[in-house]
Amino acid sequence: MTRWAIVADLNRCVGCQTCTAACKHSNATAPGIQWRKVLDVEAGVYPNVRRAFVPVGCMHCEDPPCLDVCPSTATDKREDGIVTIDYDLCIGCAYCAVACPYQARSRNDQVSSAYGKKAMRHEVLREDPGRIGVAQKCTFCVERIDQGLANGMVPGIDAAATPACVGSCIADALHFGDVDDPTSNVSKLLDENRHFRMHEDLGTGPGFFYLWDKLRDDDKPIEEAAMITAPTGSDAVGPVHQKSWDWRAAANFILGGTGSGLFVAAGVGALAGVGISLPVLVALALVAFGLFFVWLEIGRPWRFINVYFHVRRSWMTREAIAALPLFGFGLAGVVSASMPLLFAGAICGLIFVYCQARILLAAKGIPAWRHPLIVPLMVITGLAEGLGLFAIFAVFADVERSVMQALALGLPALIGLRHLAWRTYRHDLGAQGAPTATFKALDNSWLKLSLWHQLLPAGLAVAGLAAGWMLPALLVIASLLVVASGWIFKYTLITKAAFNQGYAVKRMPARGAGSSARGVKPGWALS
Amino acid sequence: MEQPRKPTSQVSSYCYQCVAGPDLLNVEVEDGVATQVRPSPAAAAVHPAGGKVCVKAFGLIQKTYNPNRILTPMKRSNPRKGRDEDPGFVAVSWDEALNTIGGKLATARDAGLTDSSGFPRVAASFGGGGTPTAYMGTFPAFLAAWGPVDMSFGSGQGVKCYHSEHLYGELWHRAFTVSPDTPLAELIISFGANVEASGGVCGVKRHADARARGVKRIQVEPHLSVTGGCSAQWVPIRPKTDPAFLFAMVHVLLHETDRSSLDISFLKDRTSSPYLIAPNGFYMRDPGSGKPLIWDVNTGKAVAFDKPDTDPALEGEFKVSGRETGPDDTVWNHKKVICRPAFAELVAHIRDYTPDWAADICDVSADTIRSVANQFVDHAHVGETIEIDGKMLPFRPVAISLGKTVNNGWGGYECCWARTLLACLVGGLEVPGGTLGTTVRLNRPADNRWTSVTPGPDGFMAYPMNPTKKGEWMSRSPARHAHRTLVPLAANSPWSQALGPTHLAWMMQKQGLEHLPEPTQPDVWFVYRTNPAISFWDTVAVSEAMAKFPFTVCFAYTRDETNHMADILLPECTDLEGLQLIRIGGSKYVEQFWEYSGFALRDPATEPQGEAKDFTWIATELADRTGLLKEYNAAITRGAAGVRLYGEGYDFSLDPDRAHGVEEIWDASCRAASAELTKGAENQGLDYYRKHGFRVRPFSKEQWYLYPELEARGLRFELPYQERLLRIGQELAARLHEHGITWWDRQLDEYEAMPSWHDLQGLWETALAEGFGVEIDDYPFWLLTARSMQYSWGGNAGIQMIHEVAGNIAGHGGVIMNPAAAARLHLAEGDLIEISSPLGKTKGAVVLRQGIRPDTLLMVGQFDHWATPFARDNKVPSMNALTPMMLELTDATGSGADLVKVAVQKIGGVT
Repeated sequence: MTRWAIVADLNRCVGCQTCTAACKHSNATAPGIQWRKVLDVEAGVYPNVRRAFVPVGCMHCEDPPCLDVCPSTATDKREDGIVTIDYDLCIGCAYCAVACPYQARSRNDQVSSAYGKKAMRHEVLREDPGRIGVAQKCTFCVERIDQGLANGMVPGIDAAATPACVGSCIADALHFGDVDDPTSNVSKLLDENRHFRMHEDLGTGPGFFYLWDKLRDDDKPIEEAAMITAPTGSDAVGPVHQKSWDWRAAANFILGGTGSGLFVAAGVGALAGVGISLPVLVALALVAFGLFFVWLEIGRPWRFINVYFHVRRSWMTREAIAALPLFGFGLAGVVSASMPLLFAGAICGLIFVYCQARILLAAKGIPAWRHPLIVPLMVITGLAEGLGLFAIFAVFADVERSVMQALALGLPALIGLRHLAWRTYRHDLGAQGAPTATFKALDNSWLKLSLWHQLLPAGLAVAGLAAGWMLPALLVIASLLVVASGWIFKYTLITKAAFNQGYAVKRMPARGAGSSARGVKPGWALS
Repeated sequence: MEQPRKPTSQVSSYCYQCVAGPDLLNVEVEDGVATQVRPSPAAAAVHPAGGKVCVKAFGLIQKTYNPNRILTPMKRSNPRKGRDEDPGFVAVSWDEALNTIGGKLATARDAGLTDSSGFPRVAASFGGGGTPTAYMGTFPAFLAAWGPVDMSFGSGQGVKCYHSEHLYGELWHRAFTVSPDTPLAELIISFGANVEASGGVCGVKRHADARARGVKRIQVEPHLSVTGGCSAQWVPIRPKTDPAFLFAMVHVLLHETDRSSLDISFLKDRTSSPYLIAPNGFYMRDPGSGKPLIWDVNTGKAVAFDKPDTDPALEGEFKVSGRETGPDDTVWNHKKVICRPAFAELVAHIRDYTPDWAADICDVSADTIRSVANQFVDHAHVGETIEIDGKMLPFRPVAISLGKTVNNGWGGYECCWARTLLACLVGGLEVPGGTLGTTVRLNRPADNRWTSVTPGPDGFMAYPMNPTKKGEWMSRSPARHAHRTLVPLAANSPWSQALGPTHLAWMMQKQGLEHLPEPTQPDVWFVYRTNPAISFWDTVAVSEAMAKFPFTVCFAYTRDETNHMADILLPECTDLEGLQLIRIGGSKYVEQFWEYSGFALRDPATEPQGEAKDFTWIATELADRTGLLKEYNAAITRGAAGVRLYGEGYDFSLDPDRAHGVEEIWDASCRAASAELTKGAENQGLDYYRKHGFRVRPFSKEQWYLYPELEARGLRFELPYQERLLRIGQELAARLHEHGITWWDRQLDEYEAMPSWHDLQGLWETALAEGFGVEIDDYPFWLLTARSMQYSWGGNAGIQMIHEVAGNIAGHGGVIMNPAAAARLHLAEGDLIEISSPLGKTKGAVVLRQGIRPDTLLMVGQFDHWATPFARDNKVPSMNALTPMMLELTDATGSGADLVKVAVQKIGGVT
């Protein structure tokens, strides 16, 4: 087998950005889009400071998160390890961009010129409309590799068959070759030097290796990179706020979760003989609006049907699939007033909200999303919001007092469960570490899922039980608070707290006869 | 998957945007449009960096098609000039533009080539380090045909270059620029030399290879530059205290290290160390021959330095009789007076400069200084040899490099002297592994360091000092900055004007200096690839000065801050549009050490945009319109465009009486180049170079080193004792005082036989406090600058792609500050601050970096653009507006240092 990979020698790299520029030339990327770039990373505190220059880009991972999440199968991995994008299949949902822990992917929604005026001659000549509105990233200059191989050349050895960044590197810091071939140039480098891969703990198996020192007699395990509270000097190094998914994506999680929860609550309510046609229709409308909003966000909306292409691995595909029976059973159930159909719809609602939670979990690029406890938290808050909304319907439908009492008992229970899920999630996220700005965003919300904030709706519901005549009013207020706090949490999670992984250097390189030093993971904290 | 595009052609070119070039490249052209820059695979085997080009070259595509380009000749319609005046440029035909210029030139010529002050009526300013000549075609031939031209209006020369190194380096070892012998060095101590940012492709490659080999580089610098980041150790020294560190290193070698660790035979045979010093500080000489005397231990007698089979004493006191010659041939005859060898004088001179003394000054521990010095000795391998091209040479793999600000202005002499002396002490000057010069500019011929070695007085190399003796001294210089009057070391080569005190030319436009000729304005000022309105100091004053020039012609790429004051703008073919042949190889600037030399072609990759014209066409037209065609053609034939057109067995001289086409001229040049390289055997012309891009022949690696040539000629390096400088300093003092000039007295103090320590920080603080009447404590930070590889030299501030990729390196676009210092001022990353010096103010965003001293701020590059399209929108600060031009801060070589004290104040939140 062949696995193409890049080996970057951090002892050699000077951060000149020649590779960045050569990549831009070779691939005609738009202004502001860099498939390859070199980070400027500092570690330590004055006067004991290290500075390293770290080339980054698509890592062509062994187990690429972008491939798993891609709903259209536009992202693929070749047998030689190169991760590819089929621009004709891609719907531009940018799920891959948030799933990538290396910030390797971007989406350019319109033709842009370097000077913002009329495009320059070379820009016109090299413009590629097929790349508008879809995901793009480093291709390892795959066409050079393929052409080179077809002409008997060896990628990494023959310049014409080698990625432009590697071929242009003035410090000979970048090397390209087959790491599966033990005799290759890159295998030799890996054998002779100590190296790390970025974010290796995420299990992506990057095809990008960083040399940081020669093999030495006193070889010791690499110390974990220090987490520092503030990145200094270059925002590009620390985690940055993801720009791929905005309020429209958040709306899908908000409305989809609440709608699904409402459907489930309605299903349960039906057992108590409550009329559920209206709640179900509202639930479906919420889900539909959520999907509509996210449709507004995708780069190639008229290719939306491609979202169904990756049922094998993509939770976005599965969410879209779950939506079909959800609507089918829901509408049919309402029309036919068939309880089995409505129950089936409610189960689909559960599946839908679970898929949404799994969408976040699979987004490995966003530490606040990829935490396993996000799944119960997202599901439970969806159910809590749904129950809250259903309670409001119930009050206005003037249901029996016993139903209202049951709702007033059920709501605090779900509030408690949700708080527990939140607390466990937040605690565990703090223990594992996350971008400082993520913690700040999660903790600074004006209405949170914390104990003190959630005591209010729970207390109101319980108080309603005690003060009978106020039950409807208190139940409505409590329900509104439950819904609002869930929505605020999800809006915060999807937008404000969604800082990406950032970059980390496991080990600052030995420079010549100098020694290596502990690395850095800027902008992260434990709390 | 996107289908690969098929290139239609590859065109050969070069990048010489910075002095660290030239580097060779290919341009991919599709449908007549230049689309990509690529390394040159053909050059991989001969180019020291494998045919690669740096990031700047990749900006050339945008540079060509930039919509902000000036694409027609233009003339100014608003006669008033100034920053706040709209020039009202209107498009005119080439005919009108050239006729206007021709008319002005004709008027100037009719009035006499020089004006009432004796200054040339025509002035010209070109950008960094002579690189514009690689793009201006035959314009040098036009200037040569014209006659005297004033090049003293600098754009950075003297204040932004390695000025002290240029002058003292050439004096001591034909080293206009100095470099470690990086491929062989084991230890490099770099005082602020930022080779990873300014050393070009060759510098980066050589140092990367050296690191892979295990070189130890210690970076001594107030901030952790790109180069510091790539070094094994960073020593954060207090700004402008480097001489103390270097003196202390010398102290360690002379007072704390065994003499056996020094290269005694090198000191005895290849330096002035054994020369006996007479009571007045000059050499004790043989009364008959006038030769300096040494003390021969074998015979116990004082003998002429060049007497064979002697064993010169380096230390001790000896009673000697002889003659001492001082300034203006003053003679003292001595009888049996006590004399010490120069080396012994050195030992005494350096005694008090201990590491403990330096520690307080530099804010670096004595242990660190001592350790660095001891490593220097330990790695010197004194006594070892290495074979280079079949010849055994000394092997001394230690070197010291000096950066800008260390190397210019006050303190530059001390640093250059100590650096070169340290190399001498271990025999590491101009030998494999050691400290080398890379190019000559003030001595002739300029294309080969070896042939520039000619015997001079007292066993040293000759040096073309400007005369200081009575009757020879020039009270009037042929340029407005008085370089031949004030700076003997500036010499008198075509490059000398650039090595004079160029800020004096600008300063005197505001206020003349007493007893110098009236500082007139040039009748015609040509400007190309330079933008002094933002790249010099006190940019407000410089802009005001140029606004008063009566007629300015700018070869203009886009509108910029300098051509805002122009009368005529001429659009010339840019890098990828013009045709030119240049010399490559040998040993050139910075770290360009080749094993080949020859020529490379810049072949147009695309047709000129708009009405842009090839520079050679413009030069020919100007020559024709000023009636100088014959002289112009003759100058080209003589080699003013880079290659002499005739030689033994070949003659491609131009017909002097007619105008020649651009391709015709360069075809002749290509033929002459082929003939030169083949000793007349071949004469392929333009077509050959278009096909192959370049042509070279081997250049012996031995010629990287000057030592073998000095040894062959029995010459010595003029170190440690500067008897010659001592003498000319006293002569210069006498001349200036005879002429009533006392404002240069402080500079005269620099002419010491061995430099002594001066409180440089105090000097700056006093000059600023007194010059501006401020409390210097109100300006707590030292403001420095650093080169940016992405921007420096290339005029790239208006290139979007360069701006984009440079943004990946911290500091571009802001003011780098230590977080602890920022915290004290309640400043956070991104805060907008006003930075003010006693001279002026600018503003920028705070960039927090741990890699900078808390008492220091750093602004990378030179920006502050207000007219250049694109760049003016980026709001990037520059220290140039804050740095004053002051006589008090001008050293004896006429240079200043990029250094000023500033205060900061928050004026806005996160930007």
